[in-house]
Amino acid sequence: MSSTLTWAAEAGTWAAEAAAVFVKEWRCEFRTRYALNTLGLFAVTTLVVVSFSLGPLGVVRSQGTSVLPVLLWIILLFSVAAGLPRAFVQEEESQTATALRLAATPSALFCGKLLYGLTLVLALEALVTPAYLVMTSLDVASPGLLAAVLAAGGYGLAAGSTLVASIIAQARSKGTLFSVLSFPVLLPLLVLAVDLTRGAVTGDPGGVAVPVLLLYDAAVTVAGLMLFPVVWNP
Amino acid sequence: MKTFLAWLLWIWISLVIVGAFFYAPVAENFRVPGSSRIVFFHVPMAWSSFLGFIGAAVWSLRYLLRRDPRHDRAAAVAIQLGLLFGVLATVTGAVWARIEWGAWWNWDPRQTSILASLLFYAAYLALRQSVDDPEKRGRLAAAYAMLGLVVTPFLFWIVPRITFSLHPEPVVNASGKVEMDPRIQHVLYSSGLGFAALFFWVHNLECRIQALSERKSAP
Repeated sequence: MSSTLTWAAEAGTWAAEAAAVFVKEWRCEFRTRYALNTLGLFAVTTLVVVSFSLGPLGVVRSQGTSVLPVLLWIILLFSVAAGLPRAFVQEEESQTATALRLAATPSALFCGKLLYGLTLVLALEALVTPAYLVMTSLDVASPGLLAAVLAAGGYGLAAGSTLVASIIAQARSKGTLFSVLSFPVLLPLLVLAVDLTRGAVTGDPGGVAVPVLLLYDAAVTVAGLMLFPVVWNP
Repeated sequence: MKTFLAWLLWIWISLVIVGAFFYAPVAENFRVPGSSRIVFFHVPMAWSSFLGFIGAAVWSLRYLLRRDPRHDRAAAVAIQLGLLFGVLATVTGAVWARIEWGAWWNWDPRQTSILASLLFYAAYLALRQSVDDPEKRGRLAAAYAMLGLVVTPFLFWIVPRITFSLHPEPVVNASGKVEMDPRIQHVLYSSGLGFAALFFWVHNLECRIQALSERKSAP
């Protein structure tokens, strides 16, 4: 009985720590609005460029279904790369990493940061995707599948980027290194997400299904939880 | 003993080269039948490249458990050799693709997945170059190598299901059987063994060279 209680208390502390990290991230974010501004502006700028040059008049409908999903995911990937690494880089730059190491257990910290990244990516997707669909007049045959792909793909983007961000924050030349390191890790996710988005647009599910995407998400999450303590603690 | 083994490897690989051209038959159903001989070098190179990848993962895990700098060095050298053999496999594959398919590069699933693993090896080396402290470098690089091991298998599983492949059947095909002339098998497996031995020999040499140069540069 007492061991169950200790376990419950520990789980409670853990959840409280993760929630505290999540709240702290958003509080810091609203002070500077650095990630929100870069992410949002980057996404809107690329969105305008893409839809202006490939918009309703620029791309034939049949080509549009194969080209436009790729561009949507490229916009999302690069917007994430522009804003998400900040979560860890800023801890090193403002020298708050040591205090954070003392305050929270690594797995709770990882989950808090991941949750922050996830909300950021989902907000980005909620902003970009409708605007993209409207501006390129892309008709989606199965909106449910598209929403599922965006949610699962967004989670994968957030999870992969959070772990890679924690690695590059401790290295030199952080900005460029993030793109170099995250690309091979996120490549399977992007290949899957693009294929599934195409399936959602044409209404014809392709060779792979959403469960594979969820499997990727699960693999990256487990790897993140196991590897993050090694990356984080000196 | 070491000199003897090196000579043995030299003789072994020479025999493989002779066997590839004079013992094994060519694949008559190929557009240019003689081009099939590249299999004796191209496939073992790809195998050695994955040997580097798996070796790096094993040594990285051992480094994370024990924090022995030798394991970190071994993982880094395995990735370097994996990159080298991977580039060789890609180039020989492209030469063969030009002859058989008419194009150097056509995003065949095999080409896509090996390119992704080459990107991963290169990213690993870029990460190592951007960290100065040896302990931190070992820790971060090992974590990244383990992450790569978790993630890249997806690519090898997904990509063939999305695009269709012209690549000849893998050695062990989908039905789990080896369908090849026995003489081709003899030379191919001997070559694979030779390339694996070459991999471990160069790996051992390079690890020792790096250990010496580290000791020399240490104060």
